[in-house]
Amino acid sequence: MALRGVWQLNKLIVSYCDWGGSSRGVRAFMESHLPAFKEISPQLEVVTELNRGQHPYLKGLYRNKNERVVSVKNMTPEDILPCATRLRNSLGRKVVKLKTRHVTKHPSVQGTWTTELKM
Amino acid sequence: MANRRCIQTLISRCFSISHSPNPSPYPILKTLTIAPHFLLQTEYSTVQSLTPTDPGKICSAFPSFSRHHCSDNRTSMGSIDNDGDEEEEEEEDDDDDKSEDEERVHLSGKSDEQKAEEAAEIGYKVIGPLEESDRVFKPYEPVFAVVQVGSHQFKVSNGDSIFVEKLKYCDVNDKLILNLVLMLGSTAQTIIGRPVLPDAAVHAVVEEHALDAKVIIFKKKRRKNYRRTKGHRQELTKLRITDIQGIAKPEPIPSMKTEKRATKVEKTAVSA
Repeated sequence: MALRGVWQLNKLIVSYCDWGGSSRGVRAFMESHLPAFKEISPQLEVVTELNRGQHPYLKGLYRNKNERVVSVKNMTPEDILPCATRLRNSLGRKVVKLKTRHVTKHPSVQGTWTTELKM
Repeated sequence: MANRRCIQTLISRCFSISHSPNPSPYPILKTLTIAPHFLLQTEYSTVQSLTPTDPGKICSAFPSFSRHHCSDNRTSMGSIDNDGDEEEEEEEDDDDDKSEDEERVHLSGKSDEQKAEEAAEIGYKVIGPLEESDRVFKPYEPVFAVVQVGSHQFKVSNGDSIFVEKLKYCDVNDKLILNLVLMLGSTAQTIIGRPVLPDAAVHAVVEEHALDAKVIIFKKKRRKNYRRTKGHRQELTKLRITDIQGIAKPEPIPSMKTEKRATKVEKTAVSA
């Protein structure tokens, strides 16, 4: 999650409810794993938001103004940590099937092969 | 095997009787008289030499007996050796269990050396230090390298990005060195490895660990009422190639720029 050395995830919002049962895992996550996660990524701004009556979610705001929302309803803290890590590790790009696994601007070094090429 | 078990129980009984507070030779004799008739059939003829004189001497009688080889190609050792075999079998089982446990422990918490070894074997990478304030991202150089990561090979140049199967032991913004370089090339020179070039190194930086788009795996057998749908997202790592070492790089062309600057300076001087 770093394009040319620059981290792409700017902000992570952890939205939870203090009454609902679907937020139980998130509340436990906030007590147990979230401080360690904050230490691992010091450049990341992590915000916890109380949203009563709604199911919990993790919202990631990226540098390219892209938002990725992951619902963590009824998940254990051990399951929420890889979700948060995945948001941190990814660029904000749209999830599209890859055309090629090798992206380059200069495909040829010694000259593109043609049928008329003589070695 | 059943014979062996019978003999083992007999011997254990003998020992228990011998170690009991009131040893009497008669029950030993009785058990021993039962034993020989099927002992002769097997290779365990050691018990024939058993003389129930003293409980202490029973133990010493065993190792002095010689082997009798039978048509079964089993080592006809004494009963202590049978016990030894038993113990060995038990030890082997314990060792297997222990090794399994050790393997489980290994899988859960590998040492750094093991991780580096695995990385070197599978992914052909060595983790360097994290990105600091280095100027790693250089402008394009007309040099390429053919690099192998896992089971895939890529023709790679400076500034390219590569999507590779998820690399386990590296985090985002880590510097890597890809060791398996199969070929190097520049505008003037090409170096081919057999199969690998030992001195070449390709430096890369981990950009991203992310999931690919979802692929739906749909299976159907017509007219058989069989239909299955499965979603799959492959975990990928995006690497950006920063440097290729091991080949003489052509010098960049500053002469054009210096000429342009010189002409500009002259023009400004002339205009002034």
